[in-house]
Amino acid sequence: MTGKLALWAGLGLLTALFVWPTLFVGPALSQDDMTHIITDAFGVKQRPASVFVHDEHNIKAEIEDDCWLCHHFDGKNPDPMDSSAGMPCVDCHPVKADPDQTPLMQAFHKQCKDCHLEKKAGPIACGECHVRP
Amino acid sequence: MSEAALAQKIDDPGLDETAAKLTPERIRTTINRVLQQENSARLKAFVGTCVSCGLCSDACHFFLSHDRDPKYSPAGKVKQTLWEMIRTKGNVSQEFIVRAATIAYTECNVCKRCVQYCPFGIDTAYLMTVVRRICHLLGVTPLYLQDTSHSHASTFNQMWVKDDEWIDTLQWQEDEYRDEIPNLRIPLEKEGADFFYSVIGPEPKFRTQLIGQAAVLMNECGVDWTMPATPGWDNSDMSMYSGDLEIMGRIKRAHFETARRLRVKRVVMGECGHAYRSVYDVGNRWLGWREMPIPVIHALQFYWEMLKEGRLKVATQMEEPCTFHDPCNVVRGMGLHEMARDVVRAFCSNFIEMEPNREQNYCCSAGGGVINCGPPHTKTRVLGNRVKAEQITATGAKVLIAPCHNCHGGLEDIINHYKLDVKLVFLIDIIYAHMHKSNAI
Amino acid sequence: MHSIYTFVTGPLVWVAFLVFIGGLAGKFVYLTSLAKNKDPYVFSYLHLKYALRSIIVWLIPFSTRNMRLNPVMTVVTFAFHICLIIAPIFLLAHVIMFEEAWGVSWWTLPDAVADVMTWVVLASIVFFVVRRRVVPEARYVTGPKEFVILGLVALPFLTGFLAYYQIFDYQTMIILHVLAGEAMLVAIPFTWLSHVMLYPMIRGYMGSEFGAERHVKDW
Ligand code: SF4
Ligand code: SF4
Repeated sequence: MTGKLALWAGLGLLTALFVWPTLFVGPALSQDDMTHIITDAFGVKQRPASVFVHDEHNIKAEIEDDCWLCHHFDGKNPDPMDSSAGMPCVDCHPVKADPDQTPLMQAFHKQCKDCHLEKKAGPIACGECHVRP
Repeated sequence: MSEAALAQKIDDPGLDETAAKLTPERIRTTINRVLQQENSARLKAFVGTCVSCGLCSDACHFFLSHDRDPKYSPAGKVKQTLWEMIRTKGNVSQEFIVRAATIAYTECNVCKRCVQYCPFGIDTAYLMTVVRRICHLLGVTPLYLQDTSHSHASTFNQMWVKDDEWIDTLQWQEDEYRDEIPNLRIPLEKEGADFFYSVIGPEPKFRTQLIGQAAVLMNECGVDWTMPATPGWDNSDMSMYSGDLEIMGRIKRAHFETARRLRVKRVVMGECGHAYRSVYDVGNRWLGWREMPIPVIHALQFYWEMLKEGRLKVATQMEEPCTFHDPCNVVRGMGLHEMARDVVRAFCSNFIEMEPNREQNYCCSAGGGVINCGPPHTKTRVLGNRVKAEQITATGAKVLIAPCHNCHGGLEDIINHYKLDVKLVFLIDIIYAHMHKSNAI
Repeated sequence: MHSIYTFVTGPLVWVAFLVFIGGLAGKFVYLTSLAKNKDPYVFSYLHLKYALRSIIVWLIPFSTRNMRLNPVMTVVTFAFHICLIIAPIFLLAHVIMFEEAWGVSWWTLPDAVADVMTWVVLASIVFFVVRRRVVPEARYVTGPKEFVILGLVALPFLTGFLAYYQIFDYQTMIILHVLAGEAMLVAIPFTWLSHVMLYPMIRGYMGSEFGAERHVKDW
């Protein structure tokens, strides 16, 4: 009998442990501006669009004035004087790319993850960005 | 108590009295010697791969006949024997050894049907022979089986047949059948003959007519044959089953060497299954031969050859409905089932198949040395093969053909116990009765 | 999160794959050299044609008598094994990770299909567990070890499923998922899960013996 009780208590504890962090995620997302990566170029989507609150991200990352960091022309050597802001990413990163181009999905993943890994901040696992609504 | 439960504890001094003398030390070292030194790769692969799914169970007539009692399933037998020996590293009790011997010697016919049911092809029959080997080295073997093995060791035949008795018997049979075929001969020691005809111990002992009938067949087919007048005439091999591999090697060598001495091109053996297994599968390997060192063919192959060559002619056909029991060792063991059917169909107009048949046939439950474990264990094998009785009954046949001595013995007991209305015969019985005999008076 | 995640998806993956492949390779070398020394028959009787015949026949559903005798088990085992192997290899998320790490990628399954396959795997494992509890011949030879192994196989799929649907805390779940997958890989060489490699080895040998020596089918 006590074994059963302990089992239920354990299960309850485990559930609580997993659920409580989600309570803090909800309200942070209400931004009027851009909230998700623009994914129109992809046909059928396998995952929900990646969460990306543009302004909030940039404030947090302290790169409000460094558009060129992401909106680059040459991904390997972004040039502070040369920003591609305003151009859709897909213009240079088609979904199906030539060998010398980075395809769109990879470009997105690289863009975000490389920086997050470098700064040891921000999401890096699939579901952290592709959050289910 | 149910019939099945009654079959459980059996008194066999070969098991009980010998086990009582064992020390834990001896048990442990023997088990480890067999598991670590004598056997290795296949044993490890088989035991390590078994996912214990139990799918092999449907193969085993013991399991099916005991209303799906898992103790009789192939994997169940391994669990009760080898798994435990491996788990305890050989630290098992005397009682455990008795039980293991009972399982390995009397509740498994090493028929290999389970190989065809396990998704991995795990050879439970091989695993049971490993257990038998351990028991043999411990001296814990069923009394009757051990006696047979002793007979092999001292007389080179299975039934303590003395050298002069053997020759007498052949001459008696020659005489006997001359009433019918005046020019009949059983040529002894004819060097350079085409083949030597080898039989198993029970033929001269109590199924002598088989030798006479075979002689009639040879006479009619006009073949150049001989039989040895020396030990080495017996092709049978119960030591192979008792786990006495050393004796097995000796008697196999004697058999092959007899053929060499007589300078025959090949050996033809009578209707026996296990002897064939011993020649092409077990004994030859022990002696270091990949194949048989001298071609040995089974009676079924020989009949078939004679029939195809037109030497053996059908005079009349048996009309009674008959069915055919596929002996494991020549069917699952050698694929002779189609040849057998060709011969049966030639001589029988009303042949009915058992279900399942051919390589899927149920074992007779006498094979694998089980019948040689003697009277104490008869019930085990008869109750362990109810499915065979049902299978035979379902055919509605009146004649049951079983071209194997062990099968014959086992089926006889099954027919009696389950009161089946069939007559049991060897194939040579039918051939003898229905062949064209141009030399007969 | 960052350091744990990069550790389990980086070095630990290498360790898991090394143990998995190295373990199986070691087992293969060990068993074959043992066979060479003590069981030389194995090599004398190996016969390519009949080895392949046996291996292939036993991979075709309902090709053997026993498969026909146990139709439910046959359907479940085949579905289970197909999904178990196909789903993780062709899962989009896995392929993307390989692509980002090594620049190689291959065809992927639509997530919806992978989803169904995961269900199939989990449902099959439930079936196996129940079968091992209720079918006497399976129950008799089943010990606690068998359930642990089934659990080890179920866990990557269960956690993968929960992570995919982001049920419970995602970050914890994804790490558990990776760890579970690695644990399963590591367990393969050391448990009967090694049948992934021993299946062709044993079948090949027994198929050769049955086909070439005994002239008979081994099914
Ligand atoms: S079918 Fe094969 S794997 Fe399954 S329990 Fe029997 S021997 Fe083991
Ligand atoms: S009697 Fe035949 S089917 Fe049963 S366990 Fe022995 S070899 Fe396998």
